[in-house]
Amino acid sequence: MRYAFYLGCATPVKALKYEISTRNLAKILGIELVDIPEFGCCGFPVKSMDSFAALLMAARNLAIAEEKGMDIIGVCTGCMAILSEAREYLEDEKLRGKVNGKLKAIGVKEYTGRVKIKHFARFLYEDYRLDRIRDKIVTPLASLEFGIHYGCHYMKPTHAHGHFDDPSRPFTLDDIISVTGARPINYPNKNLCCGLTIMGTAEDLSFRLAAEKLECLSNKGVDAMVVACPSCCIAYENNQRLAGKRAGKEFNLPVLYFTQVIGLAMGLSEKELGFELNRIKVDRLAEKLIP
Amino acid sequence: MYKFFDREKLKYCYQCGRCSSGCDINRLDISFQPHRLLHLISMGAIDKVLKSDTIWKCTTCFTCSERCPQGIKVTEILWTARAMAVKSNYIPELLITQKDILLRTGRLIPMDNKKREKSGLTAIQEEPSVVDRIFEIAEKEK
Repeated sequence: MRYAFYLGCATPVKALKYEISTRNLAKILGIELVDIPEFGCCGFPVKSMDSFAALLMAARNLAIAEEKGMDIIGVCTGCMAILSEAREYLEDEKLRGKVNGKLKAIGVKEYTGRVKIKHFARFLYEDYRLDRIRDKIVTPLASLEFGIHYGCHYMKPTHAHGHFDDPSRPFTLDDIISVTGARPINYPNKNLCCGLTIMGTAEDLSFRLAAEKLECLSNKGVDAMVVACPSCCIAYENNQRLAGKRAGKEFNLPVLYFTQVIGLAMGLSEKELGFELNRIKVDRLAEKLIP
Repeated sequence: MYKFFDREKLKYCYQCGRCSSGCDINRLDISFQPHRLLHLISMGAIDKVLKSDTIWKCTTCFTCSERCPQGIKVTEILWTARAMAVKSNYIPELLITQKDILLRTGRLIPMDNKKREKSGLTAIQEEPSVVDRIFEIAEKEK
C-alpha cells in the first residue's frame, strides 16, 4: 500500500498535530505515505483569481503523481475537492489535451487521467476497511462522546468525489469513529460550514458560522469536536476564543483530528499524536480514559 | 472565462430559490442570494455581480449546487464570477496579499521549518517558480 502523500499548504504549517498523527497512524496501519517534494499548491486559492491557472496547478499535481505511478492520499478536504474536480474536468479529452500542452511547457509529463484521489478518512473507509481498524484497537474509547464535523469539501461536490458519502446525512467519519468505541452524536447543525474560506473577505459572517456550531456542541456537552481538515480546525480551535467573543460566549471545546482519535484507541502515545499541540486542553478526555 | 460552467445550463434556472433557501450565508445575511446572482448573470447584468461584494461572501460549501433541482453548478458559477471580478479589477485586499505570498513562496501559507523541526518533522523547501510560470501561461490564454 504505497500512496503519494499530498500534504497541501495549511497542514505542514498550521496543523502539525494532524501531520504527526497521520504519519504515525499510517505507519502502524502499514500504509506507506510517500512524500513528493515536487507537489505544489492544489489551486484552491487561485480559483478565485484565475480559473485556468487553478486548473493547471491541480493538473500539474495529478501529472506528477501519475508519473510516479501512485494514487493520491491527502488530509486537507479543500485540496482533495480541488484535485478531484480537476480530475473530473480532465476527463474531457479536448481540455486535457490543452492542459497537457501547457504542462509540457513547465516541464511536467502529460496526464492521462489515471490518478485516484482520496482523503485519508475516505481511504480508511473504502480501501483499508473498518474491520481491519477494529482489529488494532487496544484502548476502546467507550466513555467518550464526540461531535463530528466533516467539512464541506470532504464530500462535496459529490460528483467530483464519486458520491462516496451523503452530504445531507454524512456517515463515513461517524462509522470510522464508532469503530474506536467512542460515540459520535447527532446534532442539529452537523452539516454547517466552518466558514474559514471567507475569513478574509467577510470576517463577521465567518466567525458567526463557527460560533453557531461551537455553541451547539458545547451545549450538547460532547467531550470534543472531531475534524478532518486543517481549515476547519483553524476555524474551530485556533479561532475559538475570537468566535466566542463575537458571539458574547466563552467556549472551551477541545478539537481533535480524526487521526488523533483513532491513534488514541490504537495505543499511540500523546507525543505520537501531537496532543501537546492541541490549543484547547484535552486533560478532561485523558481523565475519562484512565480507569 | 465561462469555460468551467455551461452557460447554456443557466437557462434551465427557473428561479425556485432552492439554492438561496439552503444557504447558511443567506440565512445570516439576506443580501447574499445565489438565485438572484444567477438571474443577473443570465440577464447579462454580469458587471453588477462582479462589482458587488456579495460574491465574496460565498464559502464555496457547495450546498446550493447539491440542492439545485436543475443540476446547475451554482457554486462553480459564483466561484468563476470571482475570477472574472479579479480580471475586471474588482479585487479584494485579501487576494492581493494571497497572490503575493503564492508568487513569493509557491504556497498559500509560507513554510515555517523551525517549527517543523521542533516537532520532529522534516523541512519542506518552498518552490515559487512553478506558480509564477503557471500564472504567466494562464495569462496568455485570455
